[in-house]
This record gives sequence, C-alpha cells and structure tokens, in this order.
Amino acid sequence: MTLKSKRNITSMAAGVATAVGYIIYALSNAAPNSDDLKAWAIVMLVSIGIAVGIQIVTQIAFHIAASVGIAVKEGKKDCKTFERGTVERIIKSELKEDERDKRITLKASHIGYSCVGIGFMAGLIALACGAIALTALHIFLGACFLAAFVDGVMSVFLYEKGNRGEECK
Amino acid sequence: MSDKLTITNNIRKLRFFANEMTQLELAEKTGASRSTIIAVEAGKYTPSLDLAFRIAAAFGVPIGEVFESKAE
Repeated sequence: MTLKSKRNITSMAAGVATAVGYIIYALSNAAPNSDDLKAWAIVMLVSIGIAVGIQIVTQIAFHIAASVGIAVKEGKKDCKTFERGTVERIIKSELKEDERDKRITLKASHIGYSCVGIGFMAGLIALACGAIALTALHIFLGACFLAAFVDGVMSVFLYEKGNRGEECK
Repeated sequence: MSDKLTITNNIRKLRFFANEMTQLELAEKTGASRSTIIAVEAGKYTPSLDLAFRIAAAFGVPIGEVFESKAE
C-alpha cells in the first residue's frame, strides 16, 4: 500500500472519530434544545474546528510514524548502504503531488461533491416534508462528513487499483 | 469504432540497463513521485505525454523504446 493511501486512511479514521464524537455529544443530555439553532450552529462550528485540529495533529503523527517505518524498513533492507538522507528523500518523493494525484483528486472530489449535492437535496426534501430545521442542518452536516469519507475511500481505491485513464480506450 | 489500446512499458528493463537505477532516482529525475513511477511501471497508470517524454529523457532513449501500444 502506498504512503498516500495510508495517509488517506489515517485522515478518514480521524474524520470518523470526529463524527462519532459529534454524534455522541448530539445524542447526550448536554446537547442544546432542538429549537435553539444558534446554539447548534456554535456546536457545529466548534466541531468543525476540532475536526481540523484533529486532522493536523493526525497528519503530523502520521509523518513521524511514516519516517520511522521507512527508516526501519530501509535499514533492514540494506543497512550498509543506508544513507542518512534516504528517509527524507523517500518521504519527499512519495508525498510529492504530481499529475496522477491531480487526476485522482479530481475523480474522488467529483464523487464527494455529488454526496454533498445529494445531502443538500435530502435536507431540502426533509424540510419540505415537515421536518424541523435542525434535522435538515444535520443532514447537511452528515452529507459533508460522508463526502469527505467517500472522497478518501475513492482516493485509496484509485491509488491501489490504478487509474489508467479513459482516454486510452 | 476504435479498438482498445493496451499500453505496455519497458521501464524495469531500462532501469536494469541504466546501472540498476532505483525507482526513487527515476522519480527524482522526472519530477514525479515514487508512487507514480511504481504505478507506471506496474501498468496501473498511463502517464501524460509530458511525463512519458521525461521518463524517456531520463534513460536517454526515444519514447518508443519506453512505451509500446497495441490495439486489442
């Protein structure tokens, strides 16, 4: 599995952890009343802020773990010719954004945007069917979390399965 | 109706003849990431014309010696 796939999986795991934390809070007694939209908006904004913070910390931890992992792997492979700068070179080269990443990101984000669009429609339909505004807000938020998750899954799939491009057929 | 093109490459062979050039070295020479070079070599990714020319230039051979195509 490539380092980019592992990075995406780590990012997805952090996203799922944040979503689970939010769901636990939203279902607890500490959550605001369903008609207090201002309080819910603050809760959602804080949750998004926490999610961004968790992503940053997770990515830093991932880079450290990846560096150690590569150093151990390369050291075991050929400890006589192992150079000090090799790990940095490998990490830099593995995580470099190039044309393949752009193509994969484009395909994955296309599906992510579709999820957001479907979530928006679902929220509007819920409102039209008489659901409260908080339900629609949660459908929007859920769609955003789902979009990020699907984006990650699609990226990992394309990195692992391959992305040969439709233009060759 | 156009046939499906299968693109194959000789990167592994060319790396061997280039004094066993590593995928990392090839990635650095072409400006692509190592994972992209691995994917191209394994036939999992068809590179752009730009990258294909840069790979050929890294080995000092014409592009036709690196990539071959055949219609199915």
